[in-house]
Amino acid sequence: MDSGNRTPQEGVREPLVEATLMESVQAEDESLVQETLAGSHASFQLLVERYQDRIFSLARHYTRSAVEIEDLVQDTFLKAFSRLDTFQGESSFFTWLYRIAVNTMLDGLKRRGRSPVRTVEDPEILATPGPTRISGPSADMEREEIARITHAVLEDLPEIFRTVLVMREFEEMAYQDIAEVLQISIGTVESRLFRARAKFKDKLLQAHPEFGQE
Amino acid sequence: MDCRQAEPLIPSYLDGELSEVRAAPLRRHLLDCQPCRAGAQGEKNLKRWFAPAAAAAIPAGFAARVARRAFAGDVGEGPLGDVVLRPHAAPQLRAVSEERTFQFVLGLTAAAALLVIALAVSMRSWNLPSGTSLRATDSRDQISVDDAIERLDRLNRAEPAVAPARPVQDRRP
Repeated sequence: MDSGNRTPQEGVREPLVEATLMESVQAEDESLVQETLAGSHASFQLLVERYQDRIFSLARHYTRSAVEIEDLVQDTFLKAFSRLDTFQGESSFFTWLYRIAVNTMLDGLKRRGRSPVRTVEDPEILATPGPTRISGPSADMEREEIARITHAVLEDLPEIFRTVLVMREFEEMAYQDIAEVLQISIGTVESRLFRARAKFKDKLLQAHPEFGQE
Repeated sequence: MDCRQAEPLIPSYLDGELSEVRAAPLRRHLLDCQPCRAGAQGEKNLKRWFAPAAAAAIPAGFAARVARRAFAGDVGEGPLGDVVLRPHAAPQLRAVSEERTFQFVLGLTAAAALLVIALAVSMRSWNLPSGTSLRATDSRDQISVDDAIERLDRLNRAEPAVAPARPVQDRRP
């Protein structure tokens, strides 16, 4: 799993350098976990500082309220702390934390009365959707406008698709990492992503037919 | 490879997640199939909708605040939040829990001690004389002075009959 500190620029580094950096970050994380378990306040604060950007970024895809976002992220870290001694280092700390974060987001939606899954359909057994052509946002569209439209469409997606799209498209997570976080097979990640993209296109065209190519 | 097989592989191919064994036949198919190439272009267009938004604004001092709450025993809301401290909670949390339990027991003991003292004081006050003046009275056998003199006289009158007094002799030579 990636360290959670990856940036698009870092993604072009040599694979060996990248792997070494990841190992280094993971070793540091495990060290910080042990120090936290030994009672170091500062070490846990450092862990929060390392990953708060990524968890805030994830939370933004589940609610627009700044207060709710902060609550969700805070809950994620508090839950992680309370279960810290169950972290065995089998996956990276970020994978472990991200799994808690995703579950916290879904629990948060349920608590707030918004069903995270608005459909009972099983995405793995549905028929393959037909091809849908769609154009990308025009060059003169503002980034905020694109984000607003995308966010609205994502909100309308069943949770099972929204999560996998966010993890892949916004967080740029590898399929293997998504599989580890969601505890599903890579094949399931592939099929779920395929269906999620098809749903996204359908919803986008329903709301904005002008972006259809056909 | 035909279009039906190619289509579901296109997104994974564009994501760089397809192994070479699966990617090679797809590439060959895309070279020959214009509709699938258009489909691939559509997938690329779709990715432009997922442009990263501006970085999330993180409240100042967030990490410090969370760390403080974590060490104070807060485990957040939700299903986990219903249980303040779990059996496998971090040692620090268990320490906090023990400290809180100790403080609770200490408080309970102090309250119980105060109650016992208050009870003892109130029970003692039940046996003390009431009123505002101090009196030393013995109600067991209250008799008047006249009665006492008359009793003594009776005793004096009766005594000679029982044992007549003898004069004391001087034994000195």
